[in-house]
Amino acid sequence: MNLTSEQQRLQALAREFTAKHIIPVAMEYDQSAEFPMFAADEAKKAGLNCMAIPKEFGGPGYDSATQLLVVEEWAYGCAAFATMLGGNGLCSYPLLIAGTEEQKKLYFAPIVAGGFGAFALTEPGAGSDAGSCRTVAQLAGDEYVLNGVKCFCTTGGYAKVFVVFASTDLSKGVKGLTAFLVERERTGLAIGSVEHKLGIRCSNTVELLLKDVRIPANHRLGQEGEGMKIAMKTLDMARPIVASIGVGVARRALDECIRFFLHKHSDGKSQPSQAEQFVMADMAIQVEAARALIFHAVSLKDAGLPYSKESAMAKAFATDTAMHVCVEAQQLFGSKGLHSDCVIQKLVRDAKVLQIYEGTNQIQRLVIAGQILRPEAVKSMSQATGR
Amino acid sequence: MSYAMTEEQELIQSNIREFVTEHVAPLADSLDKNGEYPSEAVVKMAEQGLLGLVVPAEFGGLEAGYLSFVASVEELSRASAATAAILVQHTVATGCIGRWGNAEQKGRLLPGLASGETLGSVAVFENGPKLGAGAEALIARQHEHGYLLKGAKIDVGNAGKAGIYVVFATAEPGDGKKLTAFIVSAGQKGIRVGPITKCTGLHGYQTADISFDDVFVSKEDMLGALHGGSSIVGWTLALAAVAEAAETVGIVATAVKHAAAYSKQRVQFGRSISNFPAVQIMLAGVAANCHAARLVALDAAALIDQGKPFEVESAMVKLLALNLGQKSLCEAVQVEGGYGYSEEMALARLYRDVAGTTLRNSPAEFPEKLIAESIA
Repeated sequence: MNLTSEQQRLQALAREFTAKHIIPVAMEYDQSAEFPMFAADEAKKAGLNCMAIPKEFGGPGYDSATQLLVVEEWAYGCAAFATMLGGNGLCSYPLLIAGTEEQKKLYFAPIVAGGFGAFALTEPGAGSDAGSCRTVAQLAGDEYVLNGVKCFCTTGGYAKVFVVFASTDLSKGVKGLTAFLVERERTGLAIGSVEHKLGIRCSNTVELLLKDVRIPANHRLGQEGEGMKIAMKTLDMARPIVASIGVGVARRALDECIRFFLHKHSDGKSQPSQAEQFVMADMAIQVEAARALIFHAVSLKDAGLPYSKESAMAKAFATDTAMHVCVEAQQLFGSKGLHSDCVIQKLVRDAKVLQIYEGTNQIQRLVIAGQILRPEAVKSMSQATGR
Repeated sequence: MSYAMTEEQELIQSNIREFVTEHVAPLADSLDKNGEYPSEAVVKMAEQGLLGLVVPAEFGGLEAGYLSFVASVEELSRASAATAAILVQHTVATGCIGRWGNAEQKGRLLPGLASGETLGSVAVFENGPKLGAGAEALIARQHEHGYLLKGAKIDVGNAGKAGIYVVFATAEPGDGKKLTAFIVSAGQKGIRVGPITKCTGLHGYQTADISFDDVFVSKEDMLGALHGGSSIVGWTLALAAVAEAAETVGIVATAVKHAAAYSKQRVQFGRSISNFPAVQIMLAGVAANCHAARLVALDAAALIDQGKPFEVESAMVKLLALNLGQKSLCEAVQVEGGYGYSEEMALARLYRDVAGTTLRNSPAEFPEKLIAESIA
């Protein structure tokens, strides 16, 4: 695809950022699992913070393609850094979808100033099945009172503002789900346990405890019962970003293999076996195909066309690719790929979460199947085949 | 479990299950966390006779054979693949001496290895594109009454704990392609065991690089013939591959069991997720592939016991284990979702351990090569 000169500039900027601020420290942060706060400050300085926030609210307001390009570069350095930095874009999406001017001002201001936002949908009993949410929001005068527990909340421990999903009517199930804007300092909001994860270890994943948290009624995003719709639209927008993390991770694994084999055969007398060459060629095919699918999805979005299916395809394909490519890379490295100081073993751990978060790849397949197995599909087939 | 097992083999398997429950499983998580060599478990394995499973009774071993050994490795790996890896590395060295050693070497070395007084190891791999070819290859120069070893070996298992190492070197004069095997005592002057390599999994199983600075080995410590090491290397790696596949099978068996149990208690969309075909397909695929790999591993082990060639079957089981290992753990974690990804749950350790079972002794050649060449 053709990048505009501005997109090329930002891609180069992100690449430089990654080389300077992420790659040199990523292995240390993986070991210590310390939250890399400094990277958010640097991203702000570089103009790469909260990329989705529009200019009128103080953000850079980058287009979708630019966000993808930048996130891929970050993920090339470290998927945890990309999750943290990219997440600060994702958490803006519900506001872009359903926020009023006042709500946007309230929510975007602390993020533009260098703080974090967070998205709280998942609960211990409501993962893939977001509709079985048990957190409740009760209207009391001109306030809502929130009670419940959210989990796996990315960057929740450092967030200044949250979008929290809660049920305003449990009897309605999915149709009772409503989105709210909640500030960190609200009484009754507390951070519970912090996840110790297999990978993306320095990204912050926490439990969010809500006990009689009172918020003004005008903190409700959209109408009561519109929560699921807002969540689904948010995920449609967010999935290509997560897919780009997958491409960044896979591209890194491929590059590490290329470096490894060129070094191994630097004597000039030998070369990688055909088996090794084919594995790397397959990796390259998959990385390119994944990126193309992502950009196809956002080109539909930018044209105002439906893109849920393509967004789900991009997420599933790119993150399955990341997992597959990293496992293949580790096999090519052999015993060296097991060493703690080798980035390959980190990539294998990091890649796994990409198939899980932002909707498991099983949920993506449900979305895709739901879109292709429609009666209208048969009608257009009949036109094409005469049957 | 299998038509292939005798009563005696089944008895050994059930004994080891008890042993694992009592002495290995309780320590597995702390072993992963602190990464310290599990001396006590090794002593217990020795007391149980496990270190001499494949050693003939005349040398103090259990003479239980390789099928019992492979079944035991799977059982150990279900709880702790790191502990199993120590036994595997030891048994590969022991088996190597049993298979290729002369009467004097066997009489001198096997009793100590069988009792656990001496731990064994093999040192095969080197830096460089090919064994015996890199700048750091291990060279054996002729010296009065023996040889002097100079060079290095990488990623040697049981490093620092082993009393003897079976090492492969390029003996001079020679054409550089032919290897010679030597038995080297760990106490020999000039051996330097490098720092323990930090690895992503199999914590507690020690590997390190070992350098040899004119280490003397006598002619009596040459294993097999001069320049006869290549077939010994092939046999050794084939044996290691079968045992390592059993480690993979053990890990995967535990992982799929854990994921299946989780899927039964995890309720989404109003029912336990074990009812969803998407979940059943993942679990079933893993279970079927795991069973297949187990049978091929036991079959290869039975061939060793019968004294038949088993290198092709070993390559097949290595290929199956490569396809089984990491992919199965990816599936098992997927079933458990965000919970499976937590280091506080069982699967995270297995996810980190499994790559070590298939890759720690991976030669540059793909197992497909030998299999393809063997098809007639």
